[in-house]
Amino acid sequence: MAKRHVLGAIGGAAALVLLAGCSGGSSTPAESGKVTGTLHILVSSAAASDKAFKDLNAEFVKKYPDVKVDFSAVPNANFAASRSSRLTAGNVDITLAAPREMPKYVKNGAVDDDTAAAEAGLFVDLTGQKFLKNFTPSVLDQLTYKGKDYTVPTGLSYYTGVYYNKKIFDENGLKVPTTWSEFENVVSTLKGKGVTPLGIGGKDSWPAGLGMIAAVQGLYPSAEDKNALSKDLWAGKVDLADGKQLEVLQRVKSLYDAAQKNFSGVGYDAIPSEFAKGQVAMTVDGTWNQPTIDAAVNGAFDYGYFPLPASDNAADNKWLGGKVELRMVAASNGPNKAAALAYLAFFSEPAQYAKFVATAGFAPAEPNIPSSDFLKSIEPYTSTFSPAWDTIWRPNPDAGQAALFPFNYPGITPLGTKSVDAAAKDSQTAWQAGL
Amino acid sequence: MSSYPFGARAPMRITFSLGLVVLAVFALLPAVAVFVISFTDIRGLPGIPVNWVGFDNYERFFSAAKIGYNLNALKNTLIYAVVSTVAINLLGLAIAVLLNQKLRGRTFSRAVVFLPTILGVTVIGLIWSLFFNPSAGPAASIWSWFGADSAFFGDPNLALALVIFVQIWAGLGIAVVIYLAGLQAIPEELQEAASIDGASGGQRMRLITVPLLAPSITANVLLAIVGSLQSYQLAYVLTGPNNPATQLLSLAIFAQGFGGSSASGLGQSQGYAATISVIQFVIVSIASLLVLWYLRRREAKL
Repeated sequence: MAKRHVLGAIGGAAALVLLAGCSGGSSTPAESGKVTGTLHILVSSAAASDKAFKDLNAEFVKKYPDVKVDFSAVPNANFAASRSSRLTAGNVDITLAAPREMPKYVKNGAVDDDTAAAEAGLFVDLTGQKFLKNFTPSVLDQLTYKGKDYTVPTGLSYYTGVYYNKKIFDENGLKVPTTWSEFENVVSTLKGKGVTPLGIGGKDSWPAGLGMIAAVQGLYPSAEDKNALSKDLWAGKVDLADGKQLEVLQRVKSLYDAAQKNFSGVGYDAIPSEFAKGQVAMTVDGTWNQPTIDAAVNGAFDYGYFPLPASDNAADNKWLGGKVELRMVAASNGPNKAAALAYLAFFSEPAQYAKFVATAGFAPAEPNIPSSDFLKSIEPYTSTFSPAWDTIWRPNPDAGQAALFPFNYPGITPLGTKSVDAAAKDSQTAWQAGL
Repeated sequence: MSSYPFGARAPMRITFSLGLVVLAVFALLPAVAVFVISFTDIRGLPGIPVNWVGFDNYERFFSAAKIGYNLNALKNTLIYAVVSTVAINLLGLAIAVLLNQKLRGRTFSRAVVFLPTILGVTVIGLIWSLFFNPSAGPAASIWSWFGADSAFFGDPNLALALVIFVQIWAGLGIAVVIYLAGLQAIPEELQEAASIDGASGGQRMRLITVPLLAPSITANVLLAIVGSLQSYQLAYVLTGPNNPATQLLSLAIFAQGFGGSSASGLGQSQGYAATISVIQFVIVSIASLLVLWYLRRREAKL
């Protein structure tokens, strides 16, 4: 008996100490107007936006000298894991999230993390905050969840387009293609001249996915088209291995065929320098990477950006698909809510916001903010906002891996081991199995 | 009074139970917790309601949609474990025997062989990613001497082999050190006596060295099996979390539990990840116990 008591007592005490250690740090937020303490910010990393955040943080500290900013930018692949552990520990004030209304056709289990978190009250309800008035109302309207504002947009990005080297195009007598056959012509002309048409960072997989998203943009141009596709897929009414859906993967395969040798082993970060050296004439990439590409090219030649013309009908290829970038949220369980709100308000001030988007390379989500020259040059393609496929598509956790996007671009050679038809059949089987 | 020889028992009991508590809190409790949460739909974020879902996660693992992916992961895991275990042990033993000779510069050579062990996985990943960079890496130059080229880690037919190669490179150091220690415990006289009796090098290796090394072999084989069955870090840093060619069970656990990739929009599902862990635990324990049983029996026979 005595033995058990001793063991039990020691065990109990040790467990208590450990548990107390885990749940510590629940300091009350400074609700008074004064902004002090440390502000913890966690974002996903990209060269241009990291710099923009760091500049903003420096300005913020100038205005609020009592605040210390603890800024972490983690790689995209690790962001979800970092965010979940820091939110669980309650030591982050500002982070990124994109809760979105679930369409009725999506089965219950498919709610994504951000939406579930907003639903559970993990983010501060920002509805009615004065600083939100700085933003373009039509942009904010797209971001509400159940009629409430939880997120502050940093800007807009477009990513169904192609950067092209104007010098190489001129030398080979090429014009910006507006239909798929014109694009194929550009590719074959360049190949004939010994120029590699396209650069893809296939090793990271998702950059190859940009080609898939761009193909969907041309083949399903309007938001209605994409919504209908998503709904019909969930209803099991369309076949991923047939018709226009199959065409998406055929376009992807054509892009793979136009890409540099062994592109499936090349990382995303290597592409801007290949483009700048003229080793590839084009690359499918997002406008978020323009500051990086611009720095790599460094004035050596002019470059431009056009929507990938995935459709044979030029009118369908008119608009670039895009999304609202890096949406900031304030964590409800963050230790310094006062500083978090002050930070969001400070960020939203037009003067600060203008500097931020100029550095980050985002298109502004506030009115009357000057765009960069590059963004001005693509205004003909962006004057009507068209949401990209991945912002509309809802994946099904019960479906197989091949139906994740659901177009199976990673299955096609050389990223995968399958032909277009086999990869499409795989995704159809994997999708059906989850319905 | 008992015949207990070490004086008062209280200090021993206290120190022992402290150790037990640490073990229970940091190893046993989490293990039991993983088993429990494998029956829930818990997610990676706080505040989200957790539901008891019974065997749903297990059904999902074996469902028609997932089984192909999971069998592929299992196949890759087994290939990874068997090839790296065999190679690490054969190479490790050979190198240890070599470095046990009275060679010039053997301390330096031992240090070189052990060096990869002290490098972090990310550093290893960086080194070999650069080495196997298809456009500018040294491997591309070597391939080009033979008029060949390759996407290396981007080639689905080669990626797993390369990851295994890096695992062998990284795991060799420990195996060599354990074998060296074992070799140095073998009395010199036995080898001498065998030489005098006219045993050749090969015979001495087969009839003296290997039998007396049996405990080291058991330790090394088990370490390599358990290490490689659980390892996902190298595959992750070298080829990314979602590459079917290098999909391993443990990588699937990581991707499910912590991936929640923004590219796919899929949420994290730690309940399902826990289910995969439990299934992996069963596989690893069966494999380890079988191997342990076999090696112990051999040790006893020798």
